Amino acid sequence: MTTPTATSTLPGRTVSLREIGPARRGTREDEVVVAVSPAFAGHFSKTIVDVPHAEVLRQLLAGIEEQGVTARVVRFRDTADLAALAHMGAKLSGSGICVGILSRGTTIIHQKDLPRLSNLELFPQSPLLDAAVFRMIGSNAAQYAKGESPQPVPTRNDQMARPRWQAKAALLHLKEFECIEAGRGPVDVELVFESSNAG
Amino acid sequence: MTSTAPRTGTAPRQSLRTEILEARPVNLDGFVEEWPEKGLVAMESAFDPAPSVRVEDGQIVELDGKTRDEFDFMDTFIANHAIDVASAERCTAMPSAEIARMLMDPRASRDEVLAVTRGLTPAKILDVVKLMNVVEIMQGMQKMRARRTPANQGHSTSARDNPVQVAADAAEGALRGFAELETTLGVLRYAPLVAIALQVGAQVGRGGVLTQCALEEATELELGMRGITAYAETISIYGTESVFIDGDDTPWSKAFLASAYASRGIKMRFTSGTGSEVQMGNAEGKSMLYLEIRCILMAKGAGVQGLQNGSISCIGVPGAVPGGLRAVAAENLVASMVDLECASGNDQSFSHSAMRRTARAMPQLLPGTDFVCSGYSSVPNADNMFAGSNFDTEDFDDWNTIQRDFQVDGGLRHVREDEILQARDKAARALQAVFAHLDLPPITDDEVAAATYANSSNDYPFRDVLSDLKGAQSVMDREITGLDLVKGLEAAGFHDVAENLLTVLRQRVSGDLLQTSAVLTADFTPLSAINDPNDYAGPGTGYRLEGERWEQLKKLRHVTSSTNPETEVG
Amino acid sequence: MGTSPTTELTRDDYPLSINRPELLHTPTGKPITALTMDAVVSGELSAEDLRITPETLQLQAQIADASGRPQLAGNFRRAAEMTAIPDAEVLAMYNALRPRASTGAALGELADRLENTYSAPVCAALVREAAEVYGRRDLLARPAADSDD
Repeated sequence: MTTPTATSTLPGRTVSLREIGPARRGTREDEVVVAVSPAFAGHFSKTIVDVPHAEVLRQLLAGIEEQGVTARVVRFRDTADLAALAHMGAKLSGSGICVGILSRGTTIIHQKDLPRLSNLELFPQSPLLDAAVFRMIGSNAAQYAKGESPQPVPTRNDQMARPRWQAKAALLHLKEFECIEAGRGPVDVELVFESSNAG
Repeated sequence: MTSTAPRTGTAPRQSLRTEILEARPVNLDGFVEEWPEKGLVAMESAFDPAPSVRVEDGQIVELDGKTRDEFDFMDTFIANHAIDVASAERCTAMPSAEIARMLMDPRASRDEVLAVTRGLTPAKILDVVKLMNVVEIMQGMQKMRARRTPANQGHSTSARDNPVQVAADAAEGALRGFAELETTLGVLRYAPLVAIALQVGAQVGRGGVLTQCALEEATELELGMRGITAYAETISIYGTESVFIDGDDTPWSKAFLASAYASRGIKMRFTSGTGSEVQMGNAEGKSMLYLEIRCILMAKGAGVQGLQNGSISCIGVPGAVPGGLRAVAAENLVASMVDLECASGNDQSFSHSAMRRTARAMPQLLPGTDFVCSGYSSVPNADNMFAGSNFDTEDFDDWNTIQRDFQVDGGLRHVREDEILQARDKAARALQAVFAHLDLPPITDDEVAAATYANSSNDYPFRDVLSDLKGAQSVMDREITGLDLVKGLEAAGFHDVAENLLTVLRQRVSGDLLQTSAVLTADFTPLSAINDPNDYAGPGTGYRLEGERWEQLKKLRHVTSSTNPETEVG
Repeated sequence: MGTSPTTELTRDDYPLSINRPELLHTPTGKPITALTMDAVVSGELSAEDLRITPETLQLQAQIADASGRPQLAGNFRRAAEMTAIPDAEVLAMYNALRPRASTGAALGELADRLENTYSAPVCAALVREAAEVYGRRDLLARPAADSDD
């Protein structure tokens, strides 16, 4: 389902992820890997609450880079399990730190030496993640990469997110699973932001 | 599948009535179409297997269309442990309609039904309950609930993990009638202090209330082993092999864990629920109820005494599909009809609509279950660290009124203000004494005063969180146990509370609370499916809300006196 | 394994804490009636006194059997065996049973240890059954696999 250079069509700004080649273990210690799921900025173009994937990446990268750390975006194609892709992303990351993200927006900061089902920070409630939160997540990931201990990004809680969003989240998850391509390893991708005229 | 047409924008003009309907809370809830191929369907799916069972040499070799070499680990575990091999072929061959009729016919006793259900396969059980509408499901529940006397469970948590709040709210919750109280944390490291607070507060409110702290398995077990908590329930199981593995467990690891709890004398139940598999993306094309029935039978096979089910944290999924709440009612019935204790959900924020929230609980409240809610938020939902319950403190008077309206026992009662204030004050003071005894960060008199009159965590002075976390760590490092709490309470003059807690701890030596559906009454009698078996046999039988208990439940905050209508009673 | 009393219990014996307290004792051999506040205050009781014994679990297993709950009784019998295993080792054994956590050989050793060191044949049978199923369902650790944790 995922095409290598799928373009998200959005008002304002779009991003496409151009596959460069197989992702390998990074050598730069000042590198954070941003691991995206199979349908991110491909089959899907926005999170469950309509934050464009272009904006998500822009904020994550800005948060990482404002800490003087380099970001590398890796597309996982054979899993849509957040813990799994983030943990594998962390193992690819030169610093051992990875931000993993699913199409619907669920995000995690992982570290290569932690157990797969553990994490540094987890943001399970995708409907509560907006641009500002993604920027803070990027910034925190970069600080972990530098060996610092940042204050965790304040978690939000909305008891009514479940009745409103849980079933849609499940539906988005199922669709993302359909985009899984078994046996295809992670690839480095290049981000191509384009201004859209259709706004 | 595109179904997300924007609601705003340059839409055609709406009627004024439509505007009102659009603004109704129910339209903030999410609803989705079914997608049976992926398991996004409640209980009626063409992709569920047809029932079948075949036994050879005392072993089940075929189950629901699969032969043993095709079994996944759920099939294997269920075939090896859950289904009575001797009666499997005979029971599964019975017409489903006959079994469904037995479930609701008062002339068939609970034991007679159990003699049939113990030999049924998952697909057969599904086939039976699919024949039942929601009223029939309720009739079945009324008879099949394991314990005769229904009960309720509360959540006592704090958005700031404030132990003083947890103690005061536990005391009030216990006084209002919860037989079990459950807590969990925002900051996990706070667990020892909050678990201590829950235990102390509960024993102030009503001796014999059982407490638990929901944590990851190892820490939860450790707090239980130390006697700081009395039972456990957040031991999750799943209906497909792939999701079970994603949860890093198997039926065998969970069965082993069940025995580990029993080996320490700790009551325990598993947790499962419709929607978890599809939510985690691996329903393997089966309906939510079919997969939940596999969980229920897995729990049965593990020999665990009970199950918390009723979708639980996934309620937004069955809640969004057609017939979803019928499936949720059915999953509770299935747990009860295979003789497990059922703590029946109603424990997670479910709807923006008060009408829908109430309706959701009727299939459990009206027939009664072992625990109608698992649990009811006995703190304001903003303080509920289980992400909100279907009911909270603001609903206390509504709940009490509904019990009185229908003459049903939902486990709670109206309590006079002076009693509540007294219990809250005493709980805070008792915890203050225990903290002092154990050299934990002090609780000030200002905190005690705040606890007495507080509603939410916002009404308390801030605590020194770092000191508390150090204190919490020291509880673990110093290996403080329930016995130390008893000593602290006794030393500070809280003799009755100390005695209550000691009696609860003594129960683990007897193992009486390990039996199905066990709770402790106010006089510390273990009440379970053994000495309080559900004997419903039609009108006028079984549990009836009458006598002293009914007099209690007639009381509300405001009831006009019939003797002197210018005054209120209560 | 604890010794069973000569007569099997029935559901009428339940609750044991009320109807048959004379059958109940602590792991240190005290009768349950010795668990008093006076004993707590005088320091006679330790946390060890508040644990259940294998004998009591066997009694509860008899009651579960008499109540038509064979699986529950089986759980109590495994539990009776486990009372001898230290807390930390119980948790380690649980972790060893998680998916892909142990090789087939390791599970075999675990079963042997349960049987030989702890006289726990029922628990050992559960572990051996797990090992067989894990082998068939690709849930054993590969001996040289890249470890996750």
